[in-house]
Amino acid sequence: MTQQGLAERVGCTRQTIIVLEQGRYVPSLALALRIARTFDRRVEEVFELVEDR
Amino acid sequence: MSVILWSVLALGLVFVAVVAAAYLGRSVAPPLVMPAGETLPTSPFQRLVRWSLALGLLPMAAAVGLVAWFGPIDYSEDDAVRLAVTLLLLGSLVVLAAPTLLAGVWATRDEGKLDERDRAILARAPAGQAAAMLVVLAVWVIALQESYRGGPGIPTVFLNLIFWSCLLVSLLASNAGILIGYRRT
Repeated sequence: MTQQGLAERVGCTRQTIIVLEQGRYVPSLALALRIARTFDRRVEEVFELVEDR
Repeated sequence: MSVILWSVLALGLVFVAVVAAAYLGRSVAPPLVMPAGETLPTSPFQRLVRWSLALGLLPMAAAVGLVAWFGPIDYSEDDAVRLAVTLLLLGSLVVLAAPTLLAGVWATRDEGKLDERDRAILARAPAGQAAAMLVVLAVWVIALQESYRGGPGIPTVFLNLIFWSCLLVSLLASNAGILIGYRRT
């Protein structure tokens, strides 16, 4: 799946997907859940908590 | 040195201290790594703010140029020039306020043009507005105080100029804050 495709499916811009992938943006719970659901995964399988951020 | 000048000086020092504290305490995002030959795409809202800032500055600069050319008092006595300046300032106001107004429309239509990150950046953008307006007011206070010290009253036309400068600088600061927000996250 392309970044643009994922962005369209979860209702955000491609720029948000890029900064999210690179750990520059922390998504809301709703967006994290939508992304996890898109990949048919649980949210903690897609995202991890980094303590120092 | 007059009390008001000392006050403005103290205000300026406090402003510099606040800006320095905010800069030193800012969160530093990890560097953005993009594939070779590719740049980070801009979001629709970011493009809108860029265009608004670029186009909004043109009529504002023209208005400032007219006021500077004719003089702040003489321009107000010439109806044609006053009308031209007012129209230019109104045009600038509309263009600079457009992103904030359109953001509301985009948010309600839910077309994917404005996502949660855009909203978060937009919500943080006004942080610099108050400081920017304070600086503008301080400049006006110093300029008017020094120009009309010991003379007759300050011409009322300056009230109009103070209002417009505060309003437009506030919008400029908001739009600049949005673009800075995109760079920081």
